[in-house]
Amino acid sequence: MDVLDLARLQFAVTGSLHFLFVVLTLGLAPLVAIMNTRWARSGRPVFEGMTRFWGQIYVVNYALGIVTGLVMEFQFGLSWSGLSHYAGDVFGAPLAMETLVAFFLESTFLGLWIFGWRRLPKWLHVACIWMVVLTAYASAFFIMIANSFLQNPVGAVERGGRLELADFGALVSNPALVGALPHVIGAALLTGGMVVAAASSYQLRRRTAEVELFTRSLRIGVVTAAVGIFVAVASGHAQFGLIQPGKFEGNAGAGIGLGFMILLGEMALFPLLLFFGAAVSRMPRWGWAQSLLIGLTPLPFVISILGWMAREIGRQPWLIWERLTVEDAMSPGLTPGMITGSFAGFVGILGLLAVIDYVIIVRIVRRGPVELALGA
Amino acid sequence: MDIIWFVVFGGLLAGYFALEGFDLGVGMHLLGRPRGQRDEMVAAMAPFVLANEVWLIALAGAMFGVYPQLESSVVFALYPIVVGMLLSWVLRDAGLWFRRRLPGDGWRAAWDLAIGLGSLGLTLGWGLVLGALVTGSPGLLGLAIGVVLVLLFTLHGRTFLAWRTPEAASGMVAVKPVTLWMFLATGALAALPALAVVVGGAGYLLNHSAPSSTLVTLGLMVVPFAPIMVGAQVWVWRTFRRADRQPSFF
Repeated sequence: MDVLDLARLQFAVTGSLHFLFVVLTLGLAPLVAIMNTRWARSGRPVFEGMTRFWGQIYVVNYALGIVTGLVMEFQFGLSWSGLSHYAGDVFGAPLAMETLVAFFLESTFLGLWIFGWRRLPKWLHVACIWMVVLTAYASAFFIMIANSFLQNPVGAVERGGRLELADFGALVSNPALVGALPHVIGAALLTGGMVVAAASSYQLRRRTAEVELFTRSLRIGVVTAAVGIFVAVASGHAQFGLIQPGKFEGNAGAGIGLGFMILLGEMALFPLLLFFGAAVSRMPRWGWAQSLLIGLTPLPFVISILGWMAREIGRQPWLIWERLTVEDAMSPGLTPGMITGSFAGFVGILGLLAVIDYVIIVRIVRRGPVELALGA
Repeated sequence: MDIIWFVVFGGLLAGYFALEGFDLGVGMHLLGRPRGQRDEMVAAMAPFVLANEVWLIALAGAMFGVYPQLESSVVFALYPIVVGMLLSWVLRDAGLWFRRRLPGDGWRAAWDLAIGLGSLGLTLGWGLVLGALVTGSPGLLGLAIGVVLVLLFTLHGRTFLAWRTPEAASGMVAVKPVTLWMFLATGALAALPALAVVVGGAGYLLNHSAPSSTLVTLGLMVVPFAPIMVGAQVWVWRTFRRADRQPSFF
């Protein structure tokens, strides 16, 4: 592999790792916020248990989202300085909004939520988690604006060999964004719902003492997953009319990603989840369905990565479609030693931390809602 | 517009050093301490860490939007240092999130070591960055600034502990009552080196601002959120200013 391949692979691996955690964060956050709201309204212990149990999983997952995101953001400067040199004045604006406003607020309010337990007044505490949800989705919105600009560079004019921002409204109404944003949100709800449903199934199959907590959670998870996959499939099809012509022709990697995503997501999971969603009242008694859900837990994560492979490999060899190639965007002077060293460091450490994070999450799921640090 | 953004940029940088400075200082104080003391020190800074470290993320965002040229030239020119700083930061954060997630003294000690070394690596990295911004390359001056920053941050961290949880600080310092003003003073000291470099480079920064169309768009979009951002930060300090004896998530 040459320097360019390594730089691409490094971004692909950190980006994929980042999304594995982000997609669950986006899916779980609204569910935790709803549980917290119901707890605040009713005062019932079962909702407190749900808030703390799913909240603990949510924040442990969030930790890896932060650190992978940090590494990803700085890779633009490390490996792809050609991008900010050519298009930084345009591409930088949504990225700056994401970090400067959305992530800043998300992290601040998450800290208030985690450490403000039993300190903040009840409804202010609930407001914090809703602010976290709102800003998390705002983050997704700004990032998808930036990504869609790479797919379809609208709203910019070239002046003196560099792009300048001409129309921010065009960035926001980019056809490459309109279908993709709901698609990502659908995938997130699918993932969050599937994880909640599968973990609840595990506890119910193991004859948990918390029957009500996990029965309710199972229903919420199944319905959320069914809604999520419906949104994802519908917005996925809508995108076919909006993407760059010829994107999937003669591009094996993108074609494979697209093909398997449709096979696993639309052909297999979609009908199954619609069926489970329609039969949600029976789900707590269907042991076979619960076992099936447990086995299917990795599927939404796999499908999400396949979807990004289709979108991003399909963009090759362009970094900005028909404007800037990936090769030209690579930092001039990037040496094999630099990229190999940083590759080993980033991928090694982040990969290790990701494994540890999943081990911790699995352990929380197995133990159930006992001795939770969150809200203790 | 470019002057307004320069002030915002400098403010974010100074804020980061003054706020994250005490987190990194407390992190370095963990090295070699017994578990009980480490727990108290981490619990003291825990509610602030998330709200503090986002200042740097916001700074990076501002750099991307306002000084895109700087982003590519400075970050790439300091490639190995930036990689080392990122890895240090990642380890520090992972240590905080993970240290109490599994039982066992060894587990917690290992992650506390990660917090300590990560904080030290990040602080020294900042010294090298500031040195390189002044002289053009990270040399001995950078290392010297790094050592100064380590001293300033550990002083700031100690003041923070003594101010917020005197019990946690006992055994490490002769406990003298520390006032809010002393804490603010060490914060200002911690921010001074970075602020000096930015003010010294004002001319260069102003010459490399993004075009005014980008600056205006960014400004219009950030202004409505600025009161919420400031408010949220103030709220964090109002809520967690007084120490409590409750178990900490970190």
